[in-house]
Amino acid sequence: MNSDNLVSVFQFILLLFLQAFLLSNMNFFGFINPNLYLLFIIVYRLDGNTTLLIILGFLLGLFLDLLTQGSGGHTIATLTIAYLRPYIAKFSFGVNNDIPMGMLKGSLLSQRLLYLSMLIFVHHLILFTVIYLSFDNIITIIKNTFFTSVFTFLMAYFSMELFKEKK
Amino acid sequence: MRQLFNALINYKNTLIFIGLLALSLVFLNSRSFYHQSIFSNATLSFSSQFNLITHNISSYINLAESNKKLHLENEKLKALELFKFAKPLHQNTLLDSFGFEVRSARIVKNSYRGARNYLIIDKGYKDSIEVEMGVITSDGVVGIVNQVTADFSSILSVLHRDLKINARFKKNGAYGSLSWQGNHPKRMKLLDVSTLNPIAIGDTIVTGGMSYYFPYGIPIGTVLDFKKPDFEGYYDIDVELFSNLTQKEFVYILRNNQLNQLKQLNNE
Repeated sequence: MNSDNLVSVFQFILLLFLQAFLLSNMNFFGFINPNLYLLFIIVYRLDGNTTLLIILGFLLGLFLDLLTQGSGGHTIATLTIAYLRPYIAKFSFGVNNDIPMGMLKGSLLSQRLLYLSMLIFVHHLILFTVIYLSFDNIITIIKNTFFTSVFTFLMAYFSMELFKEKK
Repeated sequence: MRQLFNALINYKNTLIFIGLLALSLVFLNSRSFYHQSIFSNATLSFSSQFNLITHNISSYINLAESNKKLHLENEKLKALELFKFAKPLHQNTLLDSFGFEVRSARIVKNSYRGARNYLIIDKGYKDSIEVEMGVITSDGVVGIVNQVTADFSSILSVLHRDLKINARFKKNGAYGSLSWQGNHPKRMKLLDVSTLNPIAIGDTIVTGGMSYYFPYGIPIGTVLDFKKPDFEGYYDIDVELFSNLTQKEFVYILRNNQLNQLKQLNNE
């Protein structure tokens, strides 16, 4: 359990800095910045402390906003997704939602993909809604949400495959 | 009590979430000007609705008093109308060349106790009120429109420490900037008037016409007292306002039709 906490702290710092200084400055096709820092919330143990996750999600978003001079959209989106994660896990994994590392192994591929895509899509929808916050920009919100979600999804999926323990 | 604690523990995630969400909204509000204006617009239209109800009640009670004031003002306007009837030839040309249109509105909320005061009136962008329009009353200047919703607008009062208004002496045209020091709702300070100009106690101060907001010549107040500093070239003048902003009911909003031309020139 102790080494798990250590890994979590390491992940938190690594993903935060990777996001703030590299991924947020990528601008694929002019507007796509994949938000890989969501991986922290995605791979947090499914049987872990949910209250702690909410606080960590808030801090992650807050630090990211402070480092990237963001307006506060990341804070709200990451906080909300940390709060919603148990419900999304229950919805996508069904009875298997208590497997500690269910998002990596021990569950169906379709369930894993559903979990991953739902988390990412909801996060991006909230993020861009908060950033634009206007009905006139609804097309921009949807466009950004869709394309950035696809990019983040691909990056997150391949990173998870890459760092999976092989036996 | 125990049940209460149990309920709190059961919903602790939701409670922490709501608490942190409120915190992040405050964070959002303080960091982004765009979000700040959206929030303040939403709260303005909400609180204005509420203020309108309370104001309707109190204005009904003061109906007789405000009726009297309207009569007085009508008399003045009638005199002006008669004066215009007397010279029908110039009537249209005069009105057309005068660059301001006038709209009336009722005050819904009026604050004058703080250091930065605002008013709220019952006309919004539906009545083609826009930001940066000047606002006057029957006997003086009130302020400048700074925020507009569909049915209401908020006005930066002249009783606002950060607002400066261009003003000048009626007798010789010496001009300076008028600002409020924050203590008495009828006293203001006129600064930046050069000591080259002779002035006296009791001189009339009018609007200077050098801003987008007000035309030249709206009476503001009289000189109450002035000091001539030894080493500076500018007077320090205390002005007493004609209008008592703490008991106003109706205001007039001035729309400057030549605003675009003025702004264009300023930008070039």
